[in-house]
This record gives sequence, C-alpha cells and structure tokens, in this order.
Amino acid sequence: MTQRIQSIVIVGGGTAGWLTAGIIAARHQGRMKTGFTVTLIESPNVPIIGVGEGTWPTLRSTLQKMGVSETEFFRNCNAAFKQGAKFARWTTGADDDAYYHPLMLPQGFTQVNLVPHWIGSHSGRTFCETVCPQGQLCDDGLAPKMITTPEYQAVANYAYHLDAGKFAGFLQQHCTTKLGVRHVLADVTKVNQSEYGDIRSVDTQQAGEIAGDLFVDCSGFSALLLGKTLGVAFKDCSDVLFCDSALAVQVPYETPESPMASHTISTAQSAGWIWDIGLPNRRGTGHVYSSRHCTDEEAHQALMRYLGPQHAHLTPRKISFHGGHRETFWKNNCVAVGLAAGFLEPLESSAIVLVELSAKLIAEQMPANREVMDIVSARFNDVTHYRWGRIIDFLKLHYVLTQRSDSAFWRDNVAPDTISDRLKNLLHLWKYQSPWFFDEFDRLEEVFPAASYQYVLYGMGFRTEVEPGDNVATGTMAAKLINDNFAMTRQMRSQLPKNRDLMKKIFEYGLQPI
Amino acid sequence: MSNVVLLDSQSHRKLRVHAQAAAHYGDNQRFVAVVVNEFHALAMHYPILFSKDADTGQFYCGAMLGFDSGENLFLDEHRAMSAYRPLNLQRGPFVTAGSDLAIDLDHPRVASSGDQELFTAAGEPSTYLQSVMGLMRELRPGAERTRIFIDTLMGLKLIEPMTISARFDDGSNREFTGLYTINRDQLKQLADPAVLDLFRRGYLQLIYLMMASLDHVSALAQRKNRSFLPGGDLPGREPLSPGAA
Repeated sequence: MTQRIQSIVIVGGGTAGWLTAGIIAARHQGRMKTGFTVTLIESPNVPIIGVGEGTWPTLRSTLQKMGVSETEFFRNCNAAFKQGAKFARWTTGADDDAYYHPLMLPQGFTQVNLVPHWIGSHSGRTFCETVCPQGQLCDDGLAPKMITTPEYQAVANYAYHLDAGKFAGFLQQHCTTKLGVRHVLADVTKVNQSEYGDIRSVDTQQAGEIAGDLFVDCSGFSALLLGKTLGVAFKDCSDVLFCDSALAVQVPYETPESPMASHTISTAQSAGWIWDIGLPNRRGTGHVYSSRHCTDEEAHQALMRYLGPQHAHLTPRKISFHGGHRETFWKNNCVAVGLAAGFLEPLESSAIVLVELSAKLIAEQMPANREVMDIVSARFNDVTHYRWGRIIDFLKLHYVLTQRSDSAFWRDNVAPDTISDRLKNLLHLWKYQSPWFFDEFDRLEEVFPAASYQYVLYGMGFRTEVEPGDNVATGTMAAKLINDNFAMTRQMRSQLPKNRDLMKKIFEYGLQPI
Repeated sequence: MSNVVLLDSQSHRKLRVHAQAAAHYGDNQRFVAVVVNEFHALAMHYPILFSKDADTGQFYCGAMLGFDSGENLFLDEHRAMSAYRPLNLQRGPFVTAGSDLAIDLDHPRVASSGDQELFTAAGEPSTYLQSVMGLMRELRPGAERTRIFIDTLMGLKLIEPMTISARFDDGSNREFTGLYTINRDQLKQLADPAVLDLFRRGYLQLIYLMMASLDHVSALAQRKNRSFLPGGDLPGREPLSPGAA
C-alpha cells in the first residue's frame, strides 16, 4: 500500500475535467520530469454540458497560476467582465425592486463592520452604495479596469462571464501544449478495481487499458466512477431548493455596439428566476424554475415575455437537473469534481468556483502515497461537505428573505421545514448582530464570504437591531470609511471606460501582462 | 482639435511656423514619446522609461522632462538648443501620413507670425522644412524599431513597473506611477544565447542606456527644486548650463 501517487487520471473533458487537469499539472510541473503524469480521458461521443457561464474572481488567480494569458482567454472564450449580480424582483416583486451583490468588499471590511453604522445613519442610501462603488459602476455600464491595467489586475474586483463550450476547448489547448497533460480521446467501457475497491485502471474502446494511482471523476451527471462504480449515493436537495428545470437561450445583440452589462442580471419570476449575462458576441439567458410550481409552457412564456417580441423566434433548450451532491466526494482512490460531485441552480455561479476549489485542494494536498491518501480524502470530504452545505444555505438565503407571497413557489420557499437549522440559527442571530468577517465563517477559503451575506441580507431589506451606543467606539472610523467610499466611487466613475469599449480594446490591442 | 492635411508646396507656399520651444506651443510635456534612435542623445539628460499608451495600453518609450502634468523642466535648454530636444517635440505641427508629410493647420505653431518659412520663394523646401523631413526619416522607422525592441524585452520579461517618488523643497510630494523600466534581476538571469542575441541586435546597449539614465531622476528633482528658489520661476532667468545639478 505504499505505492507512490504518480499517475493522475481524469475521466471527462468538460470544464471540470480540463480545469482540474490544468490546476494539478501546473502545481506539479516540477515533478513531471520524474514520472508524474496527468492524463485526461475524454469521450469523443459525449457532448459537453457547459454549466453556467458565470464565475467568481478566484478564476483570475486560477488562470494566472496555470500560465494562461488573460488576453487570449478573453479572445478565445468570448469572455467578459462580471462585477457581481443584480437581483431584480426578489424582495417584493415590484418593478423597482432590485439590489446588487457586488464582488468588491465593503470599504475597510477588515477594520470596521459598516452594517450597524449604515443602519444607524438612516441615510436613505442602499447598503451597497454606502459601502462600495460597484453597484454604481454597473448602473453606468462601466468596466472594472482600464486598458492600461495589467492582465488579471483589477481597479474594481471582477470575475468573468464566459462561453463554457469554448472555455473547455481553450483549456484543453493550454493543458496539452503548455502543461504536459496527456489527452486520450476514448470511451471508457469498463472500470477495473482492486480487491480493496480502489480503481486500478479503466478499459477504453479506442485506447486500451489506462492505469492510474488517483482517478478524478469529471464525467458529469453520470458520475461514472464515484457513483456508478464505487456506489456513492446522491443526496438530493430539492426539499430546500425547488428549481429543477431550465430553459436556456442565446440572444443576439441588436448591434455589435450595443451596451453590455458587466453584471449578471437575475430577475425573479413567479416560479423561479431568469438569468441574463452579457458576452461580447451575445447574451446568455435562461429561465430556471420549479417544475412542481409551473409548467414548461408557462416557463417558456415567462422567458419570452422577458426577452420581448423581437426575440419571439428564438427556441430555448430545455435542461432538467437534480439539485444536490454526492454523499461522499472522495472514496478510495477516486475523487469527483464538477457535475459528478453535484449540481445546484446557478443562482450565485457556484459551479466553476467549486471545481477550482476542489481541484486546488487536490493539487495542494496531493497524497504522496496510497497509505496517506485516506487521511487526505477524509479532510477533503470534510471541507467539501462544509462548502456544499454553506452554498445551499446561501442560495436559500435569497429565497427566505423574500416578502413575495404572489405564488406558491415563494410561499413554499419560506416554509420553516425547507430551511436548514444552521440557516435558521444564523437568521435568528443576525436579527441582533450582523455577519462579519471573523464570526461563524471559520474556513480559510469560504465560497461566499461574510460580505456576500451582508449584501444579500441588507439588499433584501433584512433588519438587524442596532444599539446606538454600540456604534460610538467605531463611529469616527466608520464615517471616514464611508466618505472614502464616496470619494472612490466618484474617482472610479470618472476614470473607468464603458464595458463595451474596453472589451473592444482588449480584442484589438490586448492587455499587457505587467 | 486638429486639422491635418497633406503638405503641398502650392497651397502651403506662404505658411509659416514657430519652431522654437515654448510651453504654449506644446512643449509643456512632462513625458514625451521617444524612439530608440534617440536613446544615445537622450541618455545625456533625461531618464528614459517605458509607459503605456492611455488609449491602447501598448508600451512605448518616453523621456521624463518633469514631474507635474504640463511641466517640462528643460524648456530653457530646448529654446537655447543647449540640450537635445526629443524628435517628437522637434517635429512640431508635422505628422506623417503614409510616406507623405502632413501638417496640422490648427496647431498653435502654425501662424503667419512664425519664424520659419516652409517654402522658399521659388517653391523649394526651406532649410527648416528639410530638417523636418530629415527628422521624420528618423522618427518613422524609429517607431517601428522601438516597437520591436519593446516586444523583444516583453518576451524576455525584462520590463518591470516602477514608481518614482520625490519630495521637494516646498514640502510637497509627487508620485509618478505608470512607469516601467528594465528588470535588472531578470537581465542577470538571462541565458547566454539570449544575451548574445540582445547584443547582436544592439539592444544590450539600449538596455544599459535606459538603466544608466535613471540617475537623471535625482538631477531632475533638483532642477525642480531650483524653481522654488526666489526668482527661480521667473521668466528670463539665466539659462542653466546642461548638467549643472
């Protein structure tokens, strides 16, 4: 059992497979000379699902570490900037009901919690605009940086919107030509296990038997290795998050010069919500809904109403999904990443960030030999369980804070038995103290930091009681930080270019690496 | 605004131009784009650095003439022609359009009171215009050579950002950002074939000129300090002799 872990075999060639391959190969470049290999087996017959076109800012450092040029990434993946999300009609359902969940932290986040100061000030300003410029940058259609800002650096924190199909191909090219990943185009026909249940090898139709020390299951919903072979069950979460269907459609711009939003727009419907993201060449839109609360036809009509009569000829593609995740993510010598690990509605773009975090954890904690692998896998499962639980709670937070009661979907969403005990406890606590960066959030790499909870809670009108005397100690500092934010907002609004204009310049001139 | 037209010995026969250096003619630049052909002459006086074009983000080379926006601390020498004046300041209202010479008729230098005629009475290019045509022959291929020089350095990761901070005698501080220079550590680590290639192409010399030129930053700061002295910023003072720091 002291077999060294030298040969990593990834099964599946979608976004998850190639991101995982790239992250592991980049981290272990130095070992490639001494026999460390990363092999990716991709079926030539299974189409890529291409989940979610939204990402988190983590993708910037992930791509940078893989040695990817951001300019090439923009050009080849139809990528665009994402500065956060705007949630419309989630709170009351009224026409003017909207708030931002931006990607910048509140001003001075690590020094002072500005929430009680904002509540105490009764300024009439939204929480977001009081503590951060990004909502206004999005309103103005501005980019988060300038053409002179180096690759991966930001003026305002940003992530990307991207074309997932193109992204997988782009990563494949980079991984195979720059990072030494072996690419095998073959269909897995049989999985061969040892007497202890470890996966020894896979038989393929086109490339024979492929052996490995560690197998990464990136085979998508089918979970070929972890689910089908090792029998790890799927934990459904449709009792908490009701959406199970989506109608997706790509929408052309009126002209190539049409303004392009640098944030995801999520507009609540009567049984779900519609996403709307801007890529350079088109918009990606879709209606995510609960099939228990509306028919496909109703969902289709809602999407068409949203898009307007000029897009009536478009035909959306139906996707059905089960929200949930595997009960264990790493069993024996097999770990699942991406859809094989689980899937949740793309309300906060959690899919790709979870792939990055999982692959990074595998790469960083890569067990030296089979003997210590079980220690590493126990840690991995612990952390990954925590992350899925927290993401489900955070997505549910968007639903439980609603004041809408206009349909069964919204009424059912606030039923106490659909809310986890942890979230219930937190909501109780937050009535008296607001979430901040060191309480409750104890993991080094939270998917959603306390700031995200602040933006959603106070964007949706949640009220935390504030004891005026409590604000005295940090009052001067808080006033200064809020003023700093207003100054920063003015400065950024005067300096930053329009999102569309910067995208055109990136395609024409590129960003500099320094 | 500008009004650029091709220069024509018929319609522009009577045109006159102010050629001498003056702030109101556009010499008030703290950082002016330069080409590699000039490095030798520039390195006598000015820090030579890289910066990015605000519109395209592309790197270019420039000579630093001052600290504040619109501040050229070498105006006197440029007027007295006692210090090298960068080609992009010398060219005044002229630009090239393809291989032809063009002129911006709305440039403040173009005026009937100008000290230089463009054409002789016989319609031949004046000595001044011939000198402009000469410098354009330097500037145009120079810009292309400079671009290739920069691309080569970028490929070798030989460019790194730097910030120039200065504290002046009037108690004020300046921070000049968006500047880049040679990455000395990276230069030291270059493999032999890369060094040889840089040498053969004449780039090694340009690199060392840029590195050495950084010594002029402190001289430039002292030059600015002198303007705080009584009478220091009055017009008509004695021109400073070059190199007097």
